[in-house]
Amino acid sequence: MGRSYIVEDAVEGYLSELCEQRAGSVTGLLLGQSSPQRDFVVTATRTPPTEETLAGNSVDKEWVTEHARQVSRMLPGGLSVLGVFIITDTEAKDTLTTLRQLVFAVENLISSETLWSPAEDDVTDCVALHVNRKTRKTFCRTFDVKDPKSTAKPADWKYQSGVCSSWGMVSCCLLVDMLVPLPDKRTDPEYMDKCLKEELRGWAQQVESGVCLIDGKKLAEDAEFPGGQKRNVRQTYTAQILITPRPLVLLCQREQRLAEVERRCGGSVSLTGAVHSRAYLHSNKPKARLAEKLLKRDAVSTVATRVQMLLEELLTSEEENKSSGKHKREHCLPHRVFCPLKASRPLCVCDYQFSDESVCEVTERLKEMLDIDADEGDLDTRQESPAENTEREIAAEPTMETVVAPEPKRNTFIGKTLCTPSGLHSLITSPAILRLVTMQAETFIP
Amino acid sequence: MVVTDSSDSGTILRVRGPLEFRCQLDSTDALLMHKVISRTFATLHSQVKSESCVLTVCESPVIIWPNKGVYVTPEEITPNTLCEDIHQWIQTDEQESAGKRSSKKKSKKSSAASVINLSLMMEATKTGPLSAPILRRTLQKSHFLSTTLPMDCVVRITCSDTIKDAFECLMEALTHQLLPDSQLETHRKELHQQFELQGDWPYFRRANAFHFPNELYKDGYLRNPHMVLTHPTLDNGKVYLVQGIYSYHHYMQDHVDDNGWGCAYRSLQTICSWFQQQGYVERAVPTHREIQKALVDVGDKQGSFVGSRQWIGSIEVQAVLNQLLEVTSKIMFVSQGSELASKGRELANHFLTEGTPIMIGGGVLAHTILGVAWSETTGQIRYLILDPHYTGAENLQVITDKGWCGWKGPDFWDQTAYYNLCLPQRPKVI
Repeated sequence: MGRSYIVEDAVEGYLSELCEQRAGSVTGLLLGQSSPQRDFVVTATRTPPTEETLAGNSVDKEWVTEHARQVSRMLPGGLSVLGVFIITDTEAKDTLTTLRQLVFAVENLISSETLWSPAEDDVTDCVALHVNRKTRKTFCRTFDVKDPKSTAKPADWKYQSGVCSSWGMVSCCLLVDMLVPLPDKRTDPEYMDKCLKEELRGWAQQVESGVCLIDGKKLAEDAEFPGGQKRNVRQTYTAQILITPRPLVLLCQREQRLAEVERRCGGSVSLTGAVHSRAYLHSNKPKARLAEKLLKRDAVSTVATRVQMLLEELLTSEEENKSSGKHKREHCLPHRVFCPLKASRPLCVCDYQFSDESVCEVTERLKEMLDIDADEGDLDTRQESPAENTEREIAAEPTMETVVAPEPKRNTFIGKTLCTPSGLHSLITSPAILRLVTMQAETFIP
Repeated sequence: MVVTDSSDSGTILRVRGPLEFRCQLDSTDALLMHKVISRTFATLHSQVKSESCVLTVCESPVIIWPNKGVYVTPEEITPNTLCEDIHQWIQTDEQESAGKRSSKKKSKKSSAASVINLSLMMEATKTGPLSAPILRRTLQKSHFLSTTLPMDCVVRITCSDTIKDAFECLMEALTHQLLPDSQLETHRKELHQQFELQGDWPYFRRANAFHFPNELYKDGYLRNPHMVLTHPTLDNGKVYLVQGIYSYHHYMQDHVDDNGWGCAYRSLQTICSWFQQQGYVERAVPTHREIQKALVDVGDKQGSFVGSRQWIGSIEVQAVLNQLLEVTSKIMFVSQGSELASKGRELANHFLTEGTPIMIGGGVLAHTILGVAWSETTGQIRYLILDPHYTGAENLQVITDKGWCGWKGPDFWDQTAYYNLCLPQRPKVI
């Protein structure tokens, strides 16, 4: 029994357009969500044309996979690259090998970058779609990417309208606060990259094992995710994630004992701020644990992606590496911007905007990578604000001074200190907290 | 602080969880380093007091935000719910669901206090929008400190306490854990008054932590092996025992082969363990080398003493206790072992007022006296002896069956040899 792909109507229109546009073969990606029973394809995007592909009939496998890697970064939780399509004049059987290679290459590249561990209930089948340019007939097969020897299995490909109209969304604003030492002898950006990745891995585990509340409640694992097929029911939910701190696990544990409290270092890297994370859920009776899994994965990948993007930039711009000595540098991670998929509302894709970029660079990337025509006005830039630099933050920290001296009654000890994410570090400079600590010991009265 | 009052089987709230302590010290100036460390503690302190601090009840869906007006989820529970009702939400092995237990299935009431375990967590999410993350890189040769502080805190609640009361109390206790012992002396004074406790027993120092029944001692030493013994009943006699907890130190432990020469050292270690575990001192039990070095430091022995296998006696034990623990001791001398039978009153008084283990050395042997059973009218006497000459493993059964910890009669002593006893005096502090 093969898999069943429910495909948004607009995808049919898109593939038709691609058939008409040019000769030669056209490849692209199919994006959507898998579930154990069936898979949903919500949109498709062609591989951005390059000079080589326009000229000849060949398929640039490396570019297809690189395109997939970049597209994958632009998909919020719940959406992923489900597979690959190819439009040619040839017969389906002639493209099978190519498709198979593409599917495996894409999947391998994307999963090599993920920081979370695969789950038992993950669907590992990917779709390979062949479209015959002349007849417009589709030929759909799947490969199990977990099995390098897997063969093509037939699958259903059915168009439907309003596939995503009742999909739900769960989101949260996740705080990030990491401090990691850089080894004594290696403070170059490559090593910083490695150290950060290691820390992010640990952080990913922390998030994965954290407690997830949806709308303030801890739902039982098998409970259905609220929302679903009724059109009028509210479909957006807020999640909270509770985590337990974990010990610093350093790169090269062979070299350093885990339990070491004090170590020499050549510097440190810190990452503080917050990210907006979201995940979309299909409306076919999804489970609460799916919502949790998809949201957590999105949280981890949005942070990892941005760190990766920043480090890629730093590695290419070498100026500051040469100077030595005390050296503090601050870099703002890009903030997340969402763009709705017109044909698949309410779903959105996303992109990251660096503070020195303009919005039109975002719309250009959306066009190039996802073949989306968006205006600046279509974009949702309200979820995150660009990172602010430190000077402004310290000035805007009044919460320190409003901490009151403890009064004899118990109640007022509670909760007057608000920690904003970047405030955690500016707290360090406040003498008010030190005073509070010493005062407590002397004035406590039961 | 836990008072196990057996007349009232209340509930204990226990919260545990790690707090990550990380900071970078870019100066070797002690004052600056101290400042950075203090600031980091202050940060942790404010984390625990922040609205992001969360307590989850283990094995249940109950989650409490103690700093947000003691907000609780699920909604059926409010801050004014009786704290004991939390028990009904805790999943036991018999149950599958994470919901409320049917009230028919009440847990057996035992005389021991029941414990509600909580985990300390932090909420990592906030209502947005907030600003995107910033990466800061500092390049400077420095030191990085990182460790996990295992927070562990307990309050006892009565059946009339609401969740709000109980958790406010718990949070205070928790935040106090982020202050050093020395800063808490005033706090301890208040607690002493509140509980009407003697002014000179350090009930509230950290070391006097309540030992939870299902926890093992991590260092592997046996604690108070004498507690499993049946104490002798003498006509008109009373039993006077060491007060508090000690560890049993004996030959061959810690990979030190001191068979034949280390008995007094081991007795001294047992005594030191008592002072450590009652919270009088924070230093660990000294090794043979440390004991020998202390004697050299006070001028009692030559430098070559360190690393040797020379015996020590009660006078040396007294000197080391003074040097390393600042504990004074009284020396009692008997010219013959037979005289020990007449020392019942003194020994009884010692255990009543000081309660510390006694080291006794004479002839070629040293032992530890943990108690005495004595009858004022008949003069009958028995001695509770902890024998440091045992060379086996920490097997309580063997140790008590074979008498390595056991009650001995007056004939245990060499009747003609002379003995010196070192009676450590308990510092009268809180």
